[in-house]
Amino acid sequence: MTSDARERIVDARLHLLGRQVLDADGEPVGAVDDLALAGPEGAGAEAGREAHIDAILVGPVLATRLFGGRVPDSRLPRIAWDDVGHVGTAVELTVPSDRLDAVWVERWVRDRLIARIPGGRHDPEAEE
Amino acid sequence: MKKLLAAALGILTAIGGFVDIGDLVTNAVVGSRFGMSLAWVVVLGVVGIVLFASMSGRVAAVSGRATFEIIRERLGPRAAGANLLASFAINLLTLTAEVGGIALALHLASSVEPRLWIPVAALAVWLVLWRVKFQVMENVAGLMGLLLVGFAIALFQLGPDWGELLRQAVPPSPPGTEHPASYWYYAVALFGAAMTPYEVFFFSSGAVEERWTAKDLGTNRLNVLLGFPLGGLLSLAIAACAAVVLLPAGIEVSSLSQIVLPVAQAGGVLLLAVVVLGIVAATFGAALETALSSGYTLAQYLGWSWGKFRRPARAARFHLTMIVALLLAAGILMTSVDPVAVTEMSVVFSAVALPLTYVPILVVANDPGYMGEHVNGRVVNALGTVYLVIVVVAAVAAIPLMIATGAGS
Repeated sequence: MTSDARERIVDARLHLLGRQVLDADGEPVGAVDDLALAGPEGAGAEAGREAHIDAILVGPVLATRLFGGRVPDSRLPRIAWDDVGHVGTAVELTVPSDRLDAVWVERWVRDRLIARIPGGRHDPEAEE
Repeated sequence: MKKLLAAALGILTAIGGFVDIGDLVTNAVVGSRFGMSLAWVVVLGVVGIVLFASMSGRVAAVSGRATFEIIRERLGPRAAGANLLASFAINLLTLTAEVGGIALALHLASSVEPRLWIPVAALAVWLVLWRVKFQVMENVAGLMGLLLVGFAIALFQLGPDWGELLRQAVPPSPPGTEHPASYWYYAVALFGAAMTPYEVFFFSSGAVEERWTAKDLGTNRLNVLLGFPLGGLLSLAIAACAAVVLLPAGIEVSSLSQIVLPVAQAGGVLLLAVVVLGIVAATFGAALETALSSGYTLAQYLGWSWGKFRRPARAARFHLTMIVALLLAAGILMTSVDPVAVTEMSVVFSAVALPLTYVPILVVANDPGYMGEHVNGRVVNALGTVYLVIVVVAAVAAIPLMIATGAGS
């Protein structure tokens, strides 16, 4: 959120966690399942020190939040915080979802299953 | 007519909530055992669902966020996950019952073995979900479901003693032959059916499907004020028909053919055909509503792309969820389980899930961050709070009552 002229206090728990993430076209991408924090100059975040949000985590991280355990960092689908344009009742990104690695499951289900069923690419709103 | 079409979303939602296959049976059972002495529960339920459906529709119109997105955001992943588990199970059970209900109604109309109709019914439901435009779907299913008004016509033709029906209803006087616990079990079941959570999931998501904005708040009001009272009236008419014909004859309702008995007696074959068509449409509508709700709830909890207004390929996991739900429903039915028994259970469980759904709606409807100037007024908040208390009482009482009465028997 660099372009926002007005300063606004955002409570990460209240205003970020669990909110819907929308891509640049307003298409849903995922929910804010967790946040990755980082310390200054690439160091890890430490309690009591200054930290910033590095990325939004989506997908499997939800299971570890619910049931405990850890997912290796390399397996965490993440959306870079730099791609976030606006935080309102939803978190709006500045990139289209096709450019995000984090939504590969949706793409997989689409390409392997749904798009292969006849009519899978039919636009229901189009006049026939 | 135009107004009626504008209210199609509310009508379809209410038909799925009040007169789906489980409620058809529950209403008739209640009428045949308790007369009109539980009518007050229907009125209580109608007011409650009008209140919370209009709130959820208002939130969806103003903020663009459907109900389960709000539940996830306000309750956090744990409590919302518990709600998802309960709601999804109810959805699946109800969907199972509806697909079975379509098969039973088609059996009633054709006398072809119901189990042969099950795959046909499931496939038909899927085709509509896959291909038909949301507005066409809600108009056809909603308006055809209104044919159930045949029950009200039958009631008039039966020429009942209206004074006697009224005496049963106010003040409520349960027949002395029934145990009070059974009476309260059915009270909770009727209340749970009226306020069943998939109605608000479907209604708020439908508002997003129809792209309502703050300009459509009048449409929202029209939908809830027309749809839900209509659903309530239909359910009262069914109970009254049973109270007039089946109660004095001592017939205990256990099958669909007994429910339509008063209609056949009053209006003959023609009215019976109308009502059977209405039952097919209502159960079909309820099947669509619950199948969509299963997709809506899961997709909204996890943030997936969802909605019938998108191409299926643009909401892939949403469509996959509905396909899996329908396959499960058809699979469960193929074990020859009684669909009506399935749904009677699901109605009581829905009472348990009620508070987890309605608390977040009430909270967000008061959040200016979502609602701007359209936050709840004082009267709505006061009523909402009163209803939360009722909802919690019903939720706490549901399971013990079910165990104590052996599910009402």
